[in-house]
Amino acid sequence: MSGVQPRIEVKDLVVRYGDAVAVDHIDFAIAPGELVTLLGPSGCGKTTTLRSIAGLETPYSGTITLNGQTVFSGSERRNIPAEKRGVSMVFQSYAIWPHMTVFENVAYGLRVRKAPKAEIDTAVARVLNMVQMQSYADRPSSNLSGGQQQRVAVARAIAFAPNVLLFDEPLSNLDAKLRAEMRVELRELQRSLDITSLYVTHDQEEALAISDRVIVMSKGKIEQIGSPEEIYNRPRSLFVADFVGAANMIQGQVIGPGPNGTLLFEGQGGIRLEVEAPPDGRGGTTVALRTSYIHLTPMPETHNAVAGTIHRRMFHGDFIQYVVDWPAGQLIVRRPPTEHYAEGSAVTLSFLPEHCVLL
Amino acid sequence: MRHTGSSAWIAPLLLLVCGVLVLYPLVYLVTESLNIGDAQTFPPEEYGFGNYAELFEEPKVILNTLFVACLATVMAVLFGFIQAWILTRTAIPGRERLERLMQLPYYMTPLIGALSWGVLLGPKTGLINQAWRSLGFSSDAFNVYSPWGIAWVMALFEGTVAFVMISASMKSMDPSLEESSRVLGAGKMRTALKVTLPLVAPGVLSATIFVFAEMLGSFAAAFVLGIPGRFFVVTTAIWEATLSFPPDYGHAAAMGLSLSGAMVITLGISKFIMRKGSYATISGKGFRPRAMEVGALRWLLLAIAWGYIIVAVILPLMALTLTSFERFATVIVHQMQFTFANYETALAMGSLAPAFANSLLLGIVVSSIGVPTIGVLAWIIYRSRMPGRGAMEFLIMVPQAVPRLVFGLGLLWAWINIPIPIYGTLWLLGIAYFTVFMPLGLRTIAGVVLQVDKSLEECARVCGASWTYQMRTVTLPLLRPGLIAAWLLIFIASVRELGASVFLMGPNSKVIAPAIVNSWLSSSSELSAAMALMQTVMVFIAVAILFRVARRVGGTTV
Repeated sequence: MSGVQPRIEVKDLVVRYGDAVAVDHIDFAIAPGELVTLLGPSGCGKTTTLRSIAGLETPYSGTITLNGQTVFSGSERRNIPAEKRGVSMVFQSYAIWPHMTVFENVAYGLRVRKAPKAEIDTAVARVLNMVQMQSYADRPSSNLSGGQQQRVAVARAIAFAPNVLLFDEPLSNLDAKLRAEMRVELRELQRSLDITSLYVTHDQEEALAISDRVIVMSKGKIEQIGSPEEIYNRPRSLFVADFVGAANMIQGQVIGPGPNGTLLFEGQGGIRLEVEAPPDGRGGTTVALRTSYIHLTPMPETHNAVAGTIHRRMFHGDFIQYVVDWPAGQLIVRRPPTEHYAEGSAVTLSFLPEHCVLL
Repeated sequence: MRHTGSSAWIAPLLLLVCGVLVLYPLVYLVTESLNIGDAQTFPPEEYGFGNYAELFEEPKVILNTLFVACLATVMAVLFGFIQAWILTRTAIPGRERLERLMQLPYYMTPLIGALSWGVLLGPKTGLINQAWRSLGFSSDAFNVYSPWGIAWVMALFEGTVAFVMISASMKSMDPSLEESSRVLGAGKMRTALKVTLPLVAPGVLSATIFVFAEMLGSFAAAFVLGIPGRFFVVTTAIWEATLSFPPDYGHAAAMGLSLSGAMVITLGISKFIMRKGSYATISGKGFRPRAMEVGALRWLLLAIAWGYIIVAVILPLMALTLTSFERFATVIVHQMQFTFANYETALAMGSLAPAFANSLLLGIVVSSIGVPTIGVLAWIIYRSRMPGRGAMEFLIMVPQAVPRLVFGLGLLWAWINIPIPIYGTLWLLGIAYFTVFMPLGLRTIAGVVLQVDKSLEECARVCGASWTYQMRTVTLPLLRPGLIAAWLLIFIASVRELGASVFLMGPNSKVIAPAIVNSWLSSSSELSAAMALMQTVMVFIAVAILFRVARRVGGTTV
């Protein structure tokens, strides 16, 4: 990102509703063409941040810069209205105007900008084609299905070639299968248009799947910014480890150095684990262990090998989830559906030190 | 919201205007009620609570009011409950049409209801009483000029709100609550008693108290059917007090304010019960509870449901039509002579034709000014973040808790004492209508404003539209059906207005409803019937348009 001027830059942003602080001093920057996700539980301030960038909320302090132009500055008392910011947005409710046809909905941004009629016709046809809604152009928009409304909303948002695209939980009203499909389509569209995007979601799986980078937020603050892999494999806080992906939390404490630069961690029940030493030398009392990184074998192994008993087996289709009794209590383990263990059978649990994240 | 720069002055201005309109007459009312000196001077020379104490010196009026209100409430809730149950919960043919017809008695107005039932059940001359006597009975079947008659008319024509409220609580009940009772082994009867009844009870109780408050402030039926027999309730006593010589405004104001106070308290209780009891019915889904199969019983239920429509709409209209074409209403049925003379008189008579024209003019002007004004207020109250929105909403809703008669009294007194010469002109009536119908307009428009998802407007802004462009292309088109409905409702309310008009009408500013009453009191029932029918036709045309508009907006009926 160095050297390139960011498309979106948020500095020291604070948003308040009366006495409540919704967004609490956050900073981030998004490079041209990037798709960045704001991820967090409801009420964490992610949507408020997005709406502040769109110009739909008035922040309390801080600055927001789009394409090098400051659109909000608390200290300069500058607040450029939404319609002058040149951003576009896909709303959670789709906000398809029921009194207009599909064509009129999509053409709105171009008509506002007084584009010539011929240009409007070609641009609308082009974007409707992109979202595979070309045959619906003259339909009234009041009886489209959820998925169709979603496509029209996306077409409308990209029709006037904005330089920044904002998504406010655009897929949360779709059923699971359609959501998975649209996820792929949105990512394809974003890549092919090379359009800078900020995407808000509370669905961690969606965030990991579509983003270049993920910003995890909690209680108005940023918990961690990083690539999906970093967020998943190297959570920086208990919150991130717990909120993103499925993890076991093992309580205990570091009791000294282990082999090969690892640390020795003693958990409840006297189990001893080799865990990776955190890069900044922090040391906590919890180890986070992803459920997918635990191996189950019938025979003992060497590294971090602990005996356990299969307590419960749940078939999920794409994976099997085991609840395994072990000295520190119970551990959740996810294995491919090809690995079968009967309930009650003895197994050995094993995992690499680098998958034990000390928090 | 950044548009405030250009329109920042609109909100304070509107607030100021509404504040003056609502509070100015009320201040006069309060001052006058405390005036124990010469009633004709303002400001009063002596203050005291004498006027209030006077209320209890002749408790007859209070007792009359309570008696009639209780009686009417019991009847209205009974009718409303039965109708609501039949129309929402049983599988009888033509439910939807019946439900729409159920709104007609309200639009008929209690004034016209009272006139027509006077024609049907008046002593000796009433059509039903004549038929009764011709069967060989020596006395009348029933005299409608009595407390029971007044309560009957009030229940039929003002009590439909009980039906609306009770059927709303029956409709919003999740059918799975009853279904789970059946699945768990309870029979129909047990389910009705143990599940259905407790669930609708808060709705019924709240409706009962609400209707009672309405009945306390009811004027027209007691006026038409009570005055001839000198039977007074609070509202008619207020009217009487202002007619006595010298007019006893202090006494009238004290009665009016006490009445308003009683109504505010009762309405508050009703609202409280509704909120506390709503645990049962909340779910917000648009389902319709499954209709019960009632077998052969459905013909009886159908007859009951239609019986109500016949008694509250068809019979009165037939009686009025018959009377309006008669030369003399009092003759025996088989000696009738028919004529168009009454309609000719109604349209030609010096003071009546202008009354129609004035009412029409007032209806059109008041709704045309009211809808844009209240529209802007509704938008500020429910969409902006302007400080003082709550106060603004409260202020606009105040007239709802004051009977129009009492408000009219306040306006009368307020404008007599001011050097602007609008008393006795249409201007004052226009101001009065605007003020008393603000709550109606705000409720109607708020309903649509709240339905329009905020993101529909926000999306237009993000797409690059300015505030005015967004208003023109998105907000107003979406609000249009609601605005048209509000216009029609205010128009209808203005055309049929009686309570405030009786005080504010002048010799050169006559309007329909009081003119009909005057004609009735000067005992020309044929002419009154013709005028009443013409008013009803005017209102029904507006109602028909209203229904059509309402049906276009996603099938909801107003």
